[in-house]
Amino acid sequence: MALEKTGQSFKTMAITINGNGTLTGVSVGGLPDGIVDTDMLAANAVATAKIADDAITDAKQNLSGTAKAWVNFAAGDASIRDNFNVSSVTDHGTGDYTVNFSSALADNDYAWFVSAGRGGNQGVIIAVQDTTDMTSSAFRLTTRNTSNNKEDFTHVCAGFFR
Amino acid sequence: MANSDTRFLYTDDDGNLCIVIPADNTDLTLNQIKDKDCPSGKTVYIVDKSAIPTDRSFRNAWTYTE
Repeated sequence: MALEKTGQSFKTMAITINGNGTLTGVSVGGLPDGIVDTDMLAANAVATAKIADDAITDAKQNLSGTAKAWVNFAAGDASIRDNFNVSSVTDHGTGDYTVNFSSALADNDYAWFVSAGRGGNQGVIIAVQDTTDMTSSAFRLTTRNTSNNKEDFTHVCAGFFR
Repeated sequence: MANSDTRFLYTDDDGNLCIVIPADNTDLTLNQIKDKDCPSGKTVYIVDKSAIPTDRSFRNAWTYTE
């Protein structure tokens, strides 16, 4: 085996090659980058702290059965309290909003769950105006009172599963 | 300045003033959100959120002029 000079310093250490060809005593950190392939890692060897945030986000979005996006906003001024995979909420008018996804969903066959409240025992109806309002990149909804008139509610929560 | 301090305004084909409220918890920049969530071909105004009235009694009658 020949060691190629890489400009790194090597500490003195014992390197053992046993009878079945297994090499031990080599520190990964002392070798050039990229020498460890994925299939060389032991199961569970990489902690989430070692994975970039973008990779974790991608994994969440590709995992079946989890929310691909969710948002909690105040319908009055559409201020967004918190969200996942939502870039913005569009206020089209009283009780009329579009949730815009940061990353598009796989298609528009996702399941959506929306709830709204304004305090007290007042009813609310959630409506999707038209099938064209459900796209892979956005979801338009209206919040209405029990008289079917559009109305702003203090809490609107929406989740999207695929 | 947080994304949510900014609002994008445009008028849709029905004459309604639409207000886009950017999310803070996103990797997208304000420009990326504007390009993605505001329709192309429309004039989009960028305003501070303080410019938006808090009284929404006549929300559907709102218009915007610079």
